Amino acid sequence: MEHTNDSKGFGLLIDYRYCSGCHSCEVACQVEHGYQPGVFGITLMQLGPEEIKPGKWQYDFLPVPNDRCDACVERSAAGKLPSCAQHCQAGCISYGRIEELSSMMAHRKMVLFRL
Amino acid sequence: MLEEETSCQVGGSPAAEDKPLTADAPQGRLWTWQEGDCTVIRSNARTGPGCHDNCGVLLYVKDGKLKKIEGDPENPYNQGRLCLRCLAAKEMIEHPSRLLYPLKRSRDKRGQDCFERTSWEEAFSIITREFTRIIDAYGAQAINVTQGTGRDINGYGPLLARLIGTPNYGMGFLSGQGCYAPRLMMMFFKVGDAFVCDYSQFSPERYDDPRWQPPGVIMVWGNNPVVANSDGTLGHWVVECMKRGSEIICIDPKLTWLAGRAKHWLQVRPGTDAALALAFCNVIINEQLYDADFVSRWTYGFEQFAESVQGYTPDRVATICDVGEQSIIEAARAIARAKGACLQWGVAVDHTSEGFYTGMTMFDLLALTGNFEKPGTMVAARPCFGVEETWLASQKAIDALEVPANPGLEKRLSGPYPALAALGMPSNDEMLKALETGKADLTVDEAGQPVSGSYPVKAVWLQTNNTLACMGAQPQRLLPALQGTDLNVVVDLFMTPTAMAVADIVLPAACFSERPGLTGHHPYYLGAIAQATNPPGECKSDQRIIFEFARHFWTAREGEAVARLASPWETEEEFYDWILRDAPFTYAELKERTWAYPEFCYNKHEKGLLRPDGKPGFNTQTGRYEFHCLALEGFGLAPLSGYSEPPESPVSSPELAEKYPLVLTTGARRWGYFHSEHRQSPTLRQFAPWPEVMIHPQTAKEHGIGEGDWVLLENDFGSCRMRAHLSVRIRRDTVSADHGWWFPERDPGDGTLFGVLEVNVNQLLPMRPGRSGYCNSYKSQLCRISKAADTASAGPSDSED
Ligand code: SF4
Ligand code: SF4
Ligand code: SF4
Repeated sequence: MEHTNDSKGFGLLIDYRYCSGCHSCEVACQVEHGYQPGVFGITLMQLGPEEIKPGKWQYDFLPVPNDRCDACVERSAAGKLPSCAQHCQAGCISYGRIEELSSMMAHRKMVLFRL
Repeated sequence: MLEEETSCQVGGSPAAEDKPLTADAPQGRLWTWQEGDCTVIRSNARTGPGCHDNCGVLLYVKDGKLKKIEGDPENPYNQGRLCLRCLAAKEMIEHPSRLLYPLKRSRDKRGQDCFERTSWEEAFSIITREFTRIIDAYGAQAINVTQGTGRDINGYGPLLARLIGTPNYGMGFLSGQGCYAPRLMMMFFKVGDAFVCDYSQFSPERYDDPRWQPPGVIMVWGNNPVVANSDGTLGHWVVECMKRGSEIICIDPKLTWLAGRAKHWLQVRPGTDAALALAFCNVIINEQLYDADFVSRWTYGFEQFAESVQGYTPDRVATICDVGEQSIIEAARAIARAKGACLQWGVAVDHTSEGFYTGMTMFDLLALTGNFEKPGTMVAARPCFGVEETWLASQKAIDALEVPANPGLEKRLSGPYPALAALGMPSNDEMLKALETGKADLTVDEAGQPVSGSYPVKAVWLQTNNTLACMGAQPQRLLPALQGTDLNVVVDLFMTPTAMAVADIVLPAACFSERPGLTGHHPYYLGAIAQATNPPGECKSDQRIIFEFARHFWTAREGEAVARLASPWETEEEFYDWILRDAPFTYAELKERTWAYPEFCYNKHEKGLLRPDGKPGFNTQTGRYEFHCLALEGFGLAPLSGYSEPPESPVSSPELAEKYPLVLTTGARRWGYFHSEHRQSPTLRQFAPWPEVMIHPQTAKEHGIGEGDWVLLENDFGSCRMRAHLSVRIRRDTVSADHGWWFPERDPGDGTLFGVLEVNVNQLLPMRPGRSGYCNSYKSQLCRISKAADTASAGPSDSED
């Protein structure tokens, strides 16, 4: 883990092929920042469920960092991963430099958020 | 890594002279350090609150108070990740309504909110006085000791029953002991060990262990592992395997997230899974796709089995299960051709009347395809370093107790079920009858031999068990039955509906950050729970409550000297050192390293590591996997697997189905909740604020039901109300109802027992096991639904929504 004091040039890469919708990112963020229940720096979105064609379902989840996200700068300064990235149960949130993350976008259903 | 041939012991060597070689290297691993103004304690989150896993956590403590809980990135089990329950665990641990002191209430005030605080001394004295009276009048078997699930109790509760001297210990009022026990016993009967899917969890190197390979196919069957995390499986291990190439075959009446990503998803009619498994076997045998080498070398009864599946043609089974014939054939071929297939099953297997046979069919499929003991298949999981108590009742430990009383095993209430007697637990279905009629009739003893006689059941100890909200079917029968006893004791974290309804004594239990302990709910490693703070008020750990009560009980009955032999422990550390008596670590040593992995290896059956005689093979009578199960035959049960319609279904009871046209399945897990727990936590409650029944939009429309409406669910057993959630995820002919609901925010004195009987779907489910005495019909019933007229009394006010 790279130690940083600001989030410039960093991002979160979400591989939502594997996001199970488990809410850990939301709750990790809420607890880390002392937000009230229902208040998060990242919001879980849902696609579907919809049968796109026979036997083929769209039923996906996608967490989207919102304006409350402070990129976990305090954690980064201490050499820790953002709380959402560390606790994501599917290991589908990667934190790093934008260039590095963009080079990891190997398949569909990947989204890169600039922090 | 060591050469596996020389070092591997199943579960690790128990009594080594020197420190054993473990697969992990503990050098440099700290169990505590300072970070800013916090002390960090490295631990494992092994309950309470309840959970079937032991994720690695870092507990941040300042001035004796828990500040935050993080995942431990170094712990191989969860690799830094946590589910929302541990992330928000502080809300449960520090909740203002935690029970803090022992409480007493006079027997004639059961159900009323008039508990009084008492001391541990007085609480123990009252229990001892009543137990003594009951034992002297009726015998110790008149005391029924029960556990729930989740909190760390499986191995310790049986010690309490032995210490009291009663043979009656079980999962309190779970019909047919229907939660994993049937599948465990099926595995012991047919293949001699408990086998689990290999997600690399036996290796501290996890997915990087060069010996490991991801399963080619994971059969996710009647389980939603990413939500449920059941039986020591962290569901997201499945996701890690998918990233590494595993494909999913999902069998579920509901579109789960995994079903949506499955190569094959078979949306079966609930309760028909056994027919499907047999159709898979039919295709695999008739297309010659089975593992002939494994079958001939390691199995028994194949010819008979092959013949018995001939009737289960894909065409016929497609009709039984209501799935496509072609999808059965394709899924069967995919399972047979996979490089390693494994089974991720769930409690749905146990929740159909003849579920014991459903489990058998699934294992027959695994044996047919040779999916045992290879990387990414089913591997034997045994207690680590010989320590059994972290996971299940340990006969070794029970025998090691120096208790004067005779447990009278022949008096265990097994009902007419010899196969159930082998589990060592009574039949809860018979136990409820005994409470209702005042008389427990004995039929078979612990060895399955006929016995006669009867006795009353006079007292019930419920620990980690909120049976009126959760485990018990027909809570409307359980409530008066439990209110009719002479004494009920409840040990829990909160005032539950069960405690409010029936307890005379309530004892407050501790959470995982407040106590020492051991991990190992389905153990792959042995680990320590490290105490980070003092328990609040006068809470004690479940284990301390057990051994301190036993000391008190025997002191009163036989004097100090006898009591010190029966329960010699002063501290929890001493108690755990006794639990670890044959293991190569003391509790303190284990705490310092937090986890210890025994050396693990594959192909244990070939290496002679599974049988006590050291010969190759499986630990069964024949030394083979038994398609034809001799143990079952010995119990007078059919030795081969087969399919039976659920007793209530559109096929088996068409007249009933006219009245109740929908199939009722219950108990799917929700994010944030462990069974009946966690409703107190605002963070966890936000994701599922109400009890819900999932209904297909088309079905809902036909019934005039809209999203969020209160719905009445009814059948001949009973009724309950829940809010409708409309979703295309569920079959049109099926509704899926939440379980475990009550409203802890209600006024405890309002006489509704926190609303439990308004919303408990178990009122629609019978206390009635299958023919073996195992299993129940919690996931294959019939019901009808209608929009509920009166919603005023159900749940918190709508304005909170
Ligand atoms: S990076 Fe930190 S602040 Fe941003 S969403 Fe993740 S946890 Fe919240
Ligand atoms: S923690 Fe990960 S898997 Fe869970 S909802 Fe968030 S992104 Fe998805
Ligand atoms: S699965 Fe259990 S131990 Fe793991 S994080 Fe969730 S609640 Fe905690």
